[in-house]
Amino acid sequence: MSDMKIEDYLAQGGKLSNPSNVPARYRAELMRLMATFVDSELAGAAGFADVINAGPGIKERIAAAKIVLEKTDNADKVLTIMGDFGANTAKYATHHPWTDRLARDADIGTARNDADMRLAVFNYPLEGWADAVVMNLLMGLAVGVQLDEFARVSYAPLADAFRAIAPVEARHAELATEGLERLDDAPLQASVDYWWPRVAASFGKDISTRASQLQAFGLRHSTNAELREEWEATAAQALENLGLNAPKG
Amino acid sequence: MARFHNLTVTDIHKTIRDAVVVTLKPDDASAFDFTQGQYLTFRRNFDGEELRRSYSICAGKDEGILQVGIKRVDEGAFSTWANTELQEGDTIEAMEPMGSFFLPLDAGATRNYLGFAGGSGITPVLSIIKTTLAREPHSQFTLVYANKAVNTIMFREELEDLKNHFMGRFNVIHILESDAQEIDLFTGLVDEAKCAQLFKHWIDIKSVDTAFICGPEPMMLGIAKALRDHGLDDSQIKFELFASAQPGRAKRKASGKAKAATKGTQAVITLDGASRTITMDADTSILDAALANDMDAPFACKAGVCSTCRCKVTSGEVEMVANHALEDYEVEQGYVLSCQSFAITDKVTVDYDQ
Repeated sequence: MSDMKIEDYLAQGGKLSNPSNVPARYRAELMRLMATFVDSELAGAAGFADVINAGPGIKERIAAAKIVLEKTDNADKVLTIMGDFGANTAKYATHHPWTDRLARDADIGTARNDADMRLAVFNYPLEGWADAVVMNLLMGLAVGVQLDEFARVSYAPLADAFRAIAPVEARHAELATEGLERLDDAPLQASVDYWWPRVAASFGKDISTRASQLQAFGLRHSTNAELREEWEATAAQALENLGLNAPKG
Repeated sequence: MARFHNLTVTDIHKTIRDAVVVTLKPDDASAFDFTQGQYLTFRRNFDGEELRRSYSICAGKDEGILQVGIKRVDEGAFSTWANTELQEGDTIEAMEPMGSFFLPLDAGATRNYLGFAGGSGITPVLSIIKTTLAREPHSQFTLVYANKAVNTIMFREELEDLKNHFMGRFNVIHILESDAQEIDLFTGLVDEAKCAQLFKHWIDIKSVDTAFICGPEPMMLGIAKALRDHGLDDSQIKFELFASAQPGRAKRKASGKAKAATKGTQAVITLDGASRTITMDADTSILDAALANDMDAPFACKAGVCSTCRCKVTSGEVEMVANHALEDYEVEQGYVLSCQSFAITDKVTVDYDQ
């Protein structure tokens, strides 16, 4: 057969398709990437579950419940792939209190908390319905940008999963927009100002120590800064359409 | 988690000189309701050491059998055993079918599929071809099949039969590396340039809905590039790679006498090709010690559940206090979950790169 090393194959854009031949470091980075997604979805769904009953009407509550359901389902799709690598999927889903949040004014930058891999933004608490919908819009658009990127990962089953998840998450951002259009007299700008820098931080630091390795593994293609700038442009436009403003700087 | 089941070999025969087709009857049939293109992972003990190997199912969904193809590879303990010793009536262990090398089928669809297979890479593609042609009566399939020579073509007759059975809907192009053929185009390697030539006159690439590729690494790269250059996007290209390098035979861990570490333990930790020596105490996990020393060690759950932090202990001993993810054979090979592992000897060496 071939004498090509897997690392060279990956560096040239090759795809892997099953756990039997992934290199150890690739496996670890892939697991970390998947855990970040799963933990963020589970923490996001858990946080949103708490605000379902704060919805001002039955349509809003249905939308919120649907988002909780589908984010949990999206977590399951990726967790199943972690299971192919040996993760205990049943224990994983319940081993951790996903509703845990820090204080609203905690300032953790891009840091993760000690016990899970959720993106930093999912460590902040939602404050009521309007705040939750603003967060859902900004983060929903961020997830859209991130899924475009991650649908290109070199582990083909995960790329397939992300391609299936992307339209579901895109719909969540649309639901958020529709929700905000019905909330025009609420003090939304304060929530935008609060969540904007925190969602921006979820793209990671501009200088990442792992970037070159992730690139060589085919697990990343764009830089953190490129993705964040793409989100900033999309989100600023979405806010403008709603009569809101993206914070400066 | 997936677990192993017993299967009985009901038939085994050669398809070419160094490849066998094995028909299996599972004890638990419901666990083996596969999807076309999936694979089975087998395990077997060789000299007290467990080996696991994955082989694709070659049967179609509608054949009512479970069948895999196993090509013998040089120095491959499992494939050699399957080709020389495995017999009808033997019992063998395998996990439930896995893999996502397939596309959901739709009986009403009129699609145009293109498959590329190199050598034994034909096995999952054959399953896909048989199932697709049977279940999508309006769809067409073209297979480009690369082999060294005529006598190394697995399933050659079976493919001819399929051509006759699905007259006009299935086409095979054999590309042979060393045997000259009437048409020059069909001799050589299936690489980017060869694909470009095929797409010029033989294959209407614009009409292709989805392409499946299974073969060795350089072949996959070349074909994928050619497909992208001709307008297919990533969602239209499905890959299956069983590198010739499924991990080799694992070495045994040198066993030493364990004694509790009293003072500090000296730990040598290898990550990304670099080794650092650090001092750690008995109450700190290997993972936390590495993180405290600014090493970017991988982890996710820190609860012994996900296995992201897996590393290999190459000397000294550690105690793993919880393990919900690694299997016995991995532990026997020296793998531990570093978030749950504490040093119990004065010196330990661990490696995240293995």
